Amino acid sequence: MITLNNLSKIFRTELIETHALRDVNLQINEGEFAALTGPSGSGKSTLLNILGTLESFDGGDYLLDGQSVTGLSDAALSKLRNEKIGFIFQSFNLIKDFSIYDNIELPLRYRGLNADARKQRIEQALELVGLHARRDYLPGQLSGGQQQRVAIARAIAGQPRILLADEPTGNLDSLMARQVMELLEQINQQGCTILMVTHDPDQARRAGRNIQIIDGQLHDSTLYEPLAAHSA
Amino acid sequence: MEQFIYYLKVSLKGIKRAPLPYALTIFILSVGLGVFFANATFYYQLNSDPLPQKSDKLFFPMLNLVPYQCTTDCRTPRVLSYSNVQKLSQSGIPTQAAAMYSADGYLRINATQPPLPVSIRITQRDFFSLFDVPLLHGSVWPDNSARQEVILTKTSAENLFGRTDVVGEKLLLDDRHVTISAVLDSWQMLPRLYDANNHNHLSDADDIYLPLETGYDMNYLSNSQSSTFDDTDYRQLSTQGRTGALHQLQYWVQLDTAAQQQAYRQFMHNLVQDEKAAGRHPSEPNNQLIAMRDIVSYFGGESSDIKAFALVTLLFLLVCLFNASHLSLNRYLSNQYEFGLRRALGASRSQLQLQMLADVLLMALFTIGGALLTGYAGIKLMTELLPANRLFADWDLTLLIALLLLAVICSYLVTLYPSLRASFGTLNQQLKE
Ligand SMILES: Nc1ncnc2c1ncn2[C@@H]1O[C@H](COP(=O)(O)OP(=O)(O)OP(=O)(O)O)[C@@H](O)[C@H]1O
Ligand SMILES: [Mg+2]
Repeated sequence: MITLNNLSKIFRTELIETHALRDVNLQINEGEFAALTGPSGSGKSTLLNILGTLESFDGGDYLLDGQSVTGLSDAALSKLRNEKIGFIFQSFNLIKDFSIYDNIELPLRYRGLNADARKQRIEQALELVGLHARRDYLPGQLSGGQQQRVAIARAIAGQPRILLADEPTGNLDSLMARQVMELLEQINQQGCTILMVTHDPDQARRAGRNIQIIDGQLHDSTLYEPLAAHSA
Repeated sequence: MEQFIYYLKVSLKGIKRAPLPYALTIFILSVGLGVFFANATFYYQLNSDPLPQKSDKLFFPMLNLVPYQCTTDCRTPRVLSYSNVQKLSQSGIPTQAAAMYSADGYLRINATQPPLPVSIRITQRDFFSLFDVPLLHGSVWPDNSARQEVILTKTSAENLFGRTDVVGEKLLLDDRHVTISAVLDSWQMLPRLYDANNHNHLSDADDIYLPLETGYDMNYLSNSQSSTFDDTDYRQLSTQGRTGALHQLQYWVQLDTAAQQQAYRQFMHNLVQDEKAAGRHPSEPNNQLIAMRDIVSYFGGESSDIKAFALVTLLFLLVCLFNASHLSLNRYLSNQYEFGLRRALGASRSQLQLQMLADVLLMALFTIGGALLTGYAGIKLMTELLPANRLFADWDLTLLIALLLLAVICSYLVTLYPSLRASFGTLNQQLKE
């Protein structure tokens, strides 16, 4: 469902050029749960952002469901982000003065769904993440783990086919991290493709597939290998 | 619609997050617009046409028929002498004509009362039909002869008697007996162009009206403009004032057709030629016949001051706009993160532009409220500062609509650039901020 052909990304500032991604080739199939690991600064977030069309790229091609995203209009890209992709950020990115319900509603609002359809989807998502009772709370009134579950509910409320998660448990303690992982596995079992950036070897091991990135280059392996073996 | 209400709600949340900068933006815009609007009202009213159906038919004739050879200032005098008016009145060409001037006096019902200061318009019968003055009770004097009769405005009747049906009642005008022959309905010509050469076109109408001949008989001297071009004693108005070169009369004629106007010009021309032949017109002839429509531009004066002031307020408005945009930019930049988030979750640029439209709408609403308040206060203040230009008329609808439009445009400008800045740029970058 996702195909990257020789994709590269260069960040240019006045002083330096950073090759964040070099000739990345990648194929992710429907229903996969893939973990993206690699040292800090290796280009994980950049790759995820490009997949989520939050960032442009400089070379190569990105095909989503066989269709190239290059040259799509703003409206088409927005629709794609809105309907096909769910994004989970490391720092939750909830709007602080919006209730849990309103936060989850956000992507649905830009989709032309009527009030009933929105409500139904929000309630489903709330049910799944187990926060139905907290629907009228503000994000600040929830724990970090709960906030991340709200962010997950927001990402899946639109029923996306692919979920991109950038270190979803990076800001959580291990218990909460495990809850979030279980939730993601559950979502994956319902058919949603997931690509998750993580630093945690345990989590990486739990994913069905492990993709490593070092210095902007991919080292794909379905078997988990210790990080140390690569960082030479 | 439901979606737009959502946008409005989001805008309100945004305001609540930083109410102070928002209030400041509104305040700055309101003050700029209000001051501009107050001045525009002034300017507009001064330049509006109070008698659009007639203002090209009413004319203000001027002659330099004075027994005096001009050496320095050879402009035609703005006022005529009694004998000038007599000669002009002989033509028989105008449909209607009236001479006039204004004076101050004291009025009371009887000698036991304290006298009330009044401004008197001393004029002729046709004044009321020339300028479409509405009558409430009684009738206008039947001719231009002297009579001890006054016409009151509605307000002065109410002030003196507490009622308006006072035709036939007696009054003491500077302790001489007069009878009330008519009461006018509420009337205010704005700008008051019939007072042609005096620059107080935004001031109140006079309180009472007295026949011209009676005014001369009672020795009322003009309170605005009178000049003597010979040795006429201005205290002997009833005698020397009628024969000598004491100029204080404004004269208006109604000339309905081009033929009438042409004939009247010719008449004025012949008149000064005859006077020249008789040795009573030493200067070069310089006749003027000014249509009411052109009065303000002909006499200039306060209008040009206000024009300059209007320019200053326009600049002030621009400065306010600039400042408000700056404030608004800061506000949007601090909200940029949310913009980015919405984009990342699938809002298109056009959807965010709709969001911006909701912002504009709210800002326009608040700004209109603020601008109306400051505008009102500004007009009050100007009226206080320039009491000669007391302003009565209600706000003009055209002007109000113009203000509303201007407020929307300003709100749009103030919102446009910042929100464009906030909705472009790479999303990833915005989310990190
Ligand atoms: N906006 C940017 N401008 C310039 N350079 C950037 C930008 N974003 C990322 N980079 C550079 O690109 C490289 C990859 O960054 P990226 O954020 O993808 O790393 P990462 O693998 O997510 O690291 P971490 O594990 O610390 O989150 C880094 O060298 C980083 O400095
Ligand atoms: Mg990262």
